[in-house]
This record gives sequence, structure tokens and C-alpha cells, in this order.
Amino acid sequence: MSTVLDADSRDEGLAVEVRSLRRRYGERTVIDGLDLRIRRGEFVALLGESGCGKTTLLRALAGLDAVDGGQIIGASKAAVVFQEHRLLPWDSVWRNVALGLDDRAGRPLALAALAEVGLGDRLDDWPRNLSGGQAQRVALARALVREPGLLLLDEPFAALDALTRIRMHGLVKQLVARHRPGVLLVTHDVDEAVALADRVLVMRNGVVANEYPVSAEANTHRAHPEAVALREQLLSELGVDASALAVG
Amino acid sequence: MPALVLAVWEILARAGLLSPQVLPAPSKVGATAWGLIGQGRLLSDMGTSLLRAATGFAIGGSIGFSLGTAVGFSRLAEALLDRSIQMVRSIPFLAVLPLVIVWFGVDEGGKIFLVSLGVMFPIYINTVLGIRQVDPKLLELGRVIGLSNWQLIRRIVLPGALPSILAGVRYALAVAWLALVVAETIATSSGIGFLAMDAREFLRTDVIVLTILIYAAIGVLSDAIARLLERRLLAWHANYATGGRR
Repeated sequence: MSTVLDADSRDEGLAVEVRSLRRRYGERTVIDGLDLRIRRGEFVALLGESGCGKTTLLRALAGLDAVDGGQIIGASKAAVVFQEHRLLPWDSVWRNVALGLDDRAGRPLALAALAEVGLGDRLDDWPRNLSGGQAQRVALARALVREPGLLLLDEPFAALDALTRIRMHGLVKQLVARHRPGVLLVTHDVDEAVALADRVLVMRNGVVANEYPVSAEANTHRAHPEAVALREQLLSELGVDASALAVG
Repeated sequence: MPALVLAVWEILARAGLLSPQVLPAPSKVGATAWGLIGQGRLLSDMGTSLLRAATGFAIGGSIGFSLGTAVGFSRLAEALLDRSIQMVRSIPFLAVLPLVIVWFGVDEGGKIFLVSLGVMFPIYINTVLGIRQVDPKLLELGRVIGLSNWQLIRRIVLPGALPSILAGVRYALAVAWLALVVAETIATSSGIGFLAMDAREFLRTDVIVLTILIYAAIGVLSDAIARLLERRLLAWHANYATGGRR
């Protein structure tokens, strides 16, 4: 465990702060002076059209891509769950979760994390024997076992079937409430954003164009008037005409 | 199937249709083998050959693996080494045989050198290939998790390259025997190949057939070892797992 704390992670409750972040690919500016703050325990969903820079932002926060300007403060303890589970096929389930942890301490931690995601009985299985939902739960356990200050979710449920996705939503919500990392969920799915997030951001032209708070009631009750209105609002922000959907 | 071939062969030989000079009966070959074991020659010659093959395999395999790892990881190493290695590889090793005899005489060195040379290339090529084929998404994951370079290599790159490396090992085992046969039949005073050459001088077809059978048996054995390695080390892989289909 590192004992070095940078200035802002001592600022209680802040998971990450992004100041005027800039990222260019050749001539194209993908992120153009973006600001963002996520507190510990806060669940933030990031929506936006394809190619608007959502994933670029997430990769920058994960430290996978360089940035061309601005600052990212306090993201040093970030964990990522990708769209694909990215489990190592040659390691058993528990070894995947313990990847990179100290050999001695890793196993009990991995066991506890797997029990938390309901896979305590699959410790020694090969990843190939898991279903898509189970594999993604292992990936979640692998992220949480590190007790990250910031949890980055890159469309982690997109490849799952509808029923599995709903179960995963419940599980993630519960795990975040217990471990309280700051969460940034990148998604295309407006329903998913409204069901999970405390705050929904819409990204456009390389900045956060709009943000909407979501109440706990709107999270849990799909038919709550606030949830219905917010979904319509978000869809129209993303360029989908909600009335056209009603007809179709 | 081999048993059937053996039976037909024995019957033909007994019936006098096969001259013992051309192809002696299996029972005769068996008796010869027994006789040679009794003299203490067969087992010591086999031991000598196995030791040569194993030593050559270990040396050539280590060199091939080290070079392959270097070239697989580093563009610089590739630029420096790959072209030359490919050039040496394209030389048929029969062509270097006279040179080897001049360098090493008829000692062990030359035979081990030839085996090493033959083994090195399949291992080298498959190691490079295996490392290049490792899923970049898994490497990215390793970096996000904060693995050190050494951990990345040990936990992700080498296991990912292993199926390819083992395919190289399997091929290299076959090459090792080929190289050894060539080396032992040309310049030697012990080993299975020497046994065969010695027998040729005296038209001992039974001994020659015996040595051929020994080579075949060793080939089957080394293939079995390679398969066992694959099953053990690649148990995680759907295509190698025992019994389990997918």
C-alpha cells in the first residue's frame, strides 16, 4: 500500500477531479477543456453519441492514454471494468481476481470479493466455463478487490442479455453502496444511466454539455414520472426524437 | 493396425516370401534386440543417443527461446537479429555437416551442435509468433491493474504465447531426431546411428531394421511427451482440455 497521498485525495470524499482536459487526435479535438468532479460514493453516468469522446475520457482517467493538456487529480487508484471481461484464460477464477496482489494476501481477498459477487463456489474454474454475466461479475470482483477510489465502467453490461443486465445493475448498485468508490459509467443506454446514476452527464463537442441529478426514487422505479421525463429529455439530447419512439 | 502389419510381415517371412537379407522376420529382429541387450550394447547405445538428443534439445531450445523472447518483445532486437537468424535458418543443415566434422571431429560436440541447430529455429519462430499474438487487450488490462513489466511477462505474455511455443517444441522434437540420425550415421563410434552403420558393413539387415524401429518408437514417445506437456500446461485452453468439449 502506498502511503503517498497527493494534495487532492486528502480532500475528503473526492474521487477524481478533472480540470480543462484536452485531447487531440491529429487535427480533431476530441476533448476540449473538459471539467469534471466525482465524489467518493457518487455514481455518475456519462452519455453521448458515438465518437463524442466518452471512451477517450475514460481511458485518460485510467491512465491508458496520454492527454494533451489539463490536469487529472486523484485518479491514481482507479480500477476499470471493460466491455469485455478481459479475464486471463490461463488463470483460474480466483487467480484472475488476485492478479497483481501480493501472493500471500491475494487469495483471501479474492475469495471474499468473489463471494460478494455470488461466485464463491467457482474459485477454481477456468474462465471459459463461465457465462457472460458470470465472467463480468468476476471482472467486477477483480476491480473491487483493489478497493479503488475511482471505478471506471466502460459499457460493462452492453454485451449481456437483457435479464442478466438487470441483475448486474442491482449487484453493481449494491457493491458501490458498500465500497463507496466514485463511479464513472460510460454507456449508450439511457435506461441504464437513469436506473443507476446519481448524476447523468451528457457529453457533446468535447465537454460536458449538460448534467441532470437523478433521485433515488427515479433509480428504483422505472415508471416514476421523474424517470420517464428524464429518459425523454436524455434521448432528445442525444438526437433521438422521443415522440417518434412513442409512435414506433 | 501396427500389430496387423507385424503379423502379416511375420507370416510372409516365415513362408519364405521375404528373403531374410531384404527384410528379416520381426521375431528375428526381436531375438537380435535381445542378444544386443545381453551384450550390453543396445541399451548403452540408446542411452548415448538419448543423451545427445536431450543435450542438443536443451541447448538449442534455450537459445531459440531466448532469441525468440528478445525479438518478440523488442523492435530493436528484431532489427538486429531477425534477418540473420532467418538467413542461417534457410541453410539446410546437411550442408554444414562437413564443416561440423572439421570443427568438432567425430566427438560429441558436433552431434550436439547439429541437434541444437535443428531445434533452435522451430522454437525461435514459434516463440516470436506466440509473443506477437498475445491479446493487446489483456496487456492493457495488466497495465491498468499496475503490473510491473516482469509481472506482465510472467502472468500475461508467456502464458499467452505458450500454445505456440509448445507447437514449436513438438516440431523441434522431430527435428532433433532427424538431426541426430544424420549426425550419427556419418561420424560416430557409438549410438543408434553407429549401430546401423556398423550393421550395414556386415549386411546385418536385422540390426538395421531394429534401429529403424527404435527411431520410430522414440518418435512416438517424444510425440507423446509433447502431447502430455500440452495437456498439462494448456488445460485452460478449450482445444487442449481432456474430455471437455468447450
